[in-house]
Amino acid sequence: MKIETNIFDFDEGILLENGIKLSSFKLMVETYGELNESKSNGVLLCHAFSGNHHAAGKNADGLVGWWDQLVGPDKAIDTNKFFVVCCNNLGGCSGSSGPTEINPLSDEIYGNNFPQVSVEDWVNSQKMLSDRLGISKWHFIVGGSLGGMQALQWAISYPDSVNRAGILAAAARSSTQNIAMNEVARESIRKDPNFCNGDYIKNNKRPKDGIKAARMLGHITYLSEKHMDLRFGRKYQEEGSKVSGNVDFEVENYLQYKGEKFSESFDANSYIIMTKAMDGYDIAADSKTLEENMANIKASLLIIGFNSDWLYPPARGKEIQIAAINQNIKSSYIVLDGEQGHDSFLFHSEKYSKAIKKFIES
Amino acid sequence: MAIEISKVIQDWVPRGSKIVDFGCGDGTLLKKLMDEKDVQGYGVEINDKKILSCIEKNVPVIKLDIDLGLHDFEFSNFDMSIMARSIQCLRNPNIALEKMLSLSKTCVVTLPNLGYWRCRINLAVGKMPVTPDLPSSWYETENIHLCTIRDFENLCEEQSITIKEKFFIGPKNKKGIMSSINPNFFATEGVYLLEKK
Repeated sequence: MKIETNIFDFDEGILLENGIKLSSFKLMVETYGELNESKSNGVLLCHAFSGNHHAAGKNADGLVGWWDQLVGPDKAIDTNKFFVVCCNNLGGCSGSSGPTEINPLSDEIYGNNFPQVSVEDWVNSQKMLSDRLGISKWHFIVGGSLGGMQALQWAISYPDSVNRAGILAAAARSSTQNIAMNEVARESIRKDPNFCNGDYIKNNKRPKDGIKAARMLGHITYLSEKHMDLRFGRKYQEEGSKVSGNVDFEVENYLQYKGEKFSESFDANSYIIMTKAMDGYDIAADSKTLEENMANIKASLLIIGFNSDWLYPPARGKEIQIAAINQNIKSSYIVLDGEQGHDSFLFHSEKYSKAIKKFIES
Repeated sequence: MAIEISKVIQDWVPRGSKIVDFGCGDGTLLKKLMDEKDVQGYGVEINDKKILSCIEKNVPVIKLDIDLGLHDFEFSNFDMSIMARSIQCLRNPNIALEKMLSLSKTCVVTLPNLGYWRCRINLAVGKMPVTPDLPSSWYETENIHLCTIRDFENLCEEQSITIKEKFFIGPKNKKGIMSSINPNFFATEGVYLLEKK
């Protein structure tokens, strides 16, 4: 599989939804496979809140991409057939313009000065990337969770630029419960003494403990009760492999380990920006209803929900499906069991991969 | 579905209409209607394997339990709803009929006939009918609300439903003379085009 990682600079800048203008910005982009001559085989992957541009294959650090189980040669999204593109979203912390990058206007790190971005802003910046790549119409735009919101927004904002959209474990808006969970996570970051009101980089500090606690909570919401039971049960962690002295149970050890690892790589301001963007997303936030806002969609939709997902349960996908039918949009809605809860969208399962493959190759 | 039945239904479907097929199976009928009658079609199905076949055919499909989900389509403005050999599997066929006619202008229903003479012979010797059209034993059948042609037409009458068209199929999916003369005795299946009075 041909993998390329590049930075794209956009010196023309972008006007954000909230009225703030970024005078210039950059996107970290990874591509897999090759664009055909007619530029009709493009597939855009939109990452979820903590994802990044590295979706498939192994990168230089030996890390496997977040959707490697579904993206690659002969996989659900076959890189022998499709030119697959994934970018780190604005406000992220993996190389695109965001809190950890230098503000070209001041030559200082953005830190807590990076503006709040929205799902619409991401879609607009991805559209600019499409234009740069010469792709006027994507064969397929897909994402899970927050990525699914982007795929849906693409179909709404740029109806002529999307052939098919995959909306996986997602919703047309964040629920009250989603917002509540995110706020607990953000609060644990803000209350970390090293957070320094978001100015930790300048102060040479890192609010690791806050990010860690936030991620531990997050992981609970990504998994299902059943999956946790099956995977960890009430088993005690073996003495030699405990990550900390406080740990008794395997599940504690797992959360500690995952939280710690995440806190080493993810930025606290990015965490806040990304979750705020997720919370803020609501297709029907203006005076129009979900249906009215979806009226212009020309793409065919594939909506997939998972029964074990209690963060974005299947009913949220069904809501989009029914609105699509009422607007005469070609749309399919599937519910799969997906044992891994909300995270199910990340993992291969026979029916899941088949559904996506058949949808994009039909 | 027998070729004759799908052909009959095809003739009844208005060109370019918006239709929903409850219990659409692998999407064969919808695909045909989409290709030949230019319909905007949606299938409703519960079986994952069949759903994947629909997606493969590029037929829009929704995974839903018809028993629970008919009310979801309240504002979908369908021209026609189809329920082929499924109504007898539902918990409340009468309520389902009512619902289908509230969410679409017309509706096509096909159903196996328990009044078919071979079923009657089975019952006459004291056994639940098992025929080529109703092959499952009583303990494993999905058909929990079987009825005769007469029963069904009586229900339509009671619910003020107009039978606009009907068509009867005999054994081996043939349109025999006998099944038109006395459908309640000779037809294995009835095909109806219904409308609210």
